Amino acid sequence: MAVLGIPILEDLYPSTMDMWPIEAKEFNRVWPFYENLKQGRFTTTKCKDCGFVAYPPRVICPECYSENLEYVDLPKKGKVMVFSEEVKGVPLGFQSPLIHAVIDLGADPVRRLLTRIINCPAGALKQGDEVQLTIFEIPSIPIEKGKAGTIMAERVFFAFEPVKK
Amino acid sequence: MTERRACIVAGGQCKWGVREAHLIDLFQEAAKACLDDLPTLKPKDIDGLIVANSYGGRCSFQVNIAPVVAERCGLKPTSICTRIDVLCAGGSTGIILAKGLVESGNADIVMVAGGEKLYTPQRWEVFYSELASIDHDWEAPHGLGLPPPFFALTAMEHMRHYGTTKEQLASVSVANYNYAADNPKAQMQKKLTLEEAMNAPGVVYPLTLYDCCPITDGAAAAIITTEEFAKKLSDRPLVYLRGAAQASLHSVSANWPGEHLADWIHMRIAAKKAFERAKLEPHNIHVAQTHDCFTISEVIEVEELGFCKKGEGGDFCGSGQIEIGGKVPVNTDGGLLSCGHPFGGTGIRQGTEIMKQLQGRAIHQVKDACFGLTHNLSGLNAEHTILIYGREPVK
Repeated sequence: MAVLGIPILEDLYPSTMDMWPIEAKEFNRVWPFYENLKQGRFTTTKCKDCGFVAYPPRVICPECYSENLEYVDLPKKGKVMVFSEEVKGVPLGFQSPLIHAVIDLGADPVRRLLTRIINCPAGALKQGDEVQLTIFEIPSIPIEKGKAGTIMAERVFFAFEPVKK
Repeated sequence: MTERRACIVAGGQCKWGVREAHLIDLFQEAAKACLDDLPTLKPKDIDGLIVANSYGGRCSFQVNIAPVVAERCGLKPTSICTRIDVLCAGGSTGIILAKGLVESGNADIVMVAGGEKLYTPQRWEVFYSELASIDHDWEAPHGLGLPPPFFALTAMEHMRHYGTTKEQLASVSVANYNYAADNPKAQMQKKLTLEEAMNAPGVVYPLTLYDCCPITDGAAAAIITTEEFAKKLSDRPLVYLRGAAQASLHSVSANWPGEHLADWIHMRIAAKKAFERAKLEPHNIHVAQTHDCFTISEVIEVEELGFCKKGEGGDFCGSGQIEIGGKVPVNTDGGLLSCGHPFGGTGIRQGTEIMKQLQGRAIHQVKDACFGLTHNLSGLNAEHTILIYGREPVK
């Protein structure tokens, strides 16, 4: 974690430059999404007043501005509508091939979800293939908790992978 | 009181490319190039500064950049001094805001300066920083920082729905590279043949090297003022800011508003509004600078702007309609593909080129050009910004 050679950063890690979300409830009011993800659930917020389901989850309903929301499950399987494969020049932190796809999970508001496809070799994916949610751990980040000291907040994120035929 | 009408009276840019210079150096070079274009205007005459910059906070650890730019450029603004961030559309947004300020009487002579210093001492940081360009928590974690994968998906959708070919995409890079071959400020200054473009190394299928604009350090600046001041400052033909619009309907791709990724309804909405405000129609436009971050972008933009029918952008570009003598010459100074794309600087470069076209002093001059247009898309195609310029004001 240390940035050697830059004195102020030796043994420090600037978490605000992290490419992953800061998911902990101390810093994020949509933390239930990530807690649900840890349980294998792919969820978003639904308005209990007007019924509008929004993705990504949020803290107000974008239709009626109600704060009376609940988390509901989204489908975890979908079909590939279009995809791209990046083999060379993959960004830092990702492995080649970096595959992106627009997938249709079959229900609003996730008829056109842009996602990474993992566990899939280059050249194997086809349009129309079925893919499923896959959840993986990402590095924990340190969060200062006053007298309780610094905790390491565990994190997960998601992608999709081909369904084994 | 007579109506105050905004005009663009001067513009200039520094050399764009991989620059051995600090962000604030680039802004000084741009401000000088801008005032060199209008020697009657002195720094003390400028009462407003709008700085378009997105990556100062990240790449130069400098936020609140406007007073820094003002001081180093010898400006002492008393009407407005601020920074805006709309990434790729920052420069055009600055021009739109300056129009509002001068027309409302809240400022008289505004410098709109935009630019970025993206290359950092460790080059990997450029690519990492790009993750900040899009919705951080919902799309960046999918590795979507640099946009080639997204525009590759867009190109595949356009090919599937409309039969657009790789050769038609390549024709855009050939046209735009050839426009910039004699532009001394451009990042890329070389002629390109269709054969070279077709045989270029792959980036993300179907996009190859010349389909993608480079990463660029650079800055540009322009002066927006009233018709009255413009007449005092210059004998050149007046170039009015006739109308503008900026539309954003979504951020996360799941909420994409079109039928598919090659259907840019948010751009059509922005275009309709800008044309209404300018009291013009697409067929009135003589020259345009559209946001060719990728060749496929220009193909779709000429459609959504109404220069041709939806789905015929590939044919429009491939048949030379974007070249001098064509129906609407596009990106006549080389566009993003060849000039480069220092996000906040791009809209100002485009506005400056349109000003020169309408004043009859462009390098690749479109004969008798009276009405011109600039367009930017920004983020992961999350927003569209359109400005329409004219030799005559809206009546």
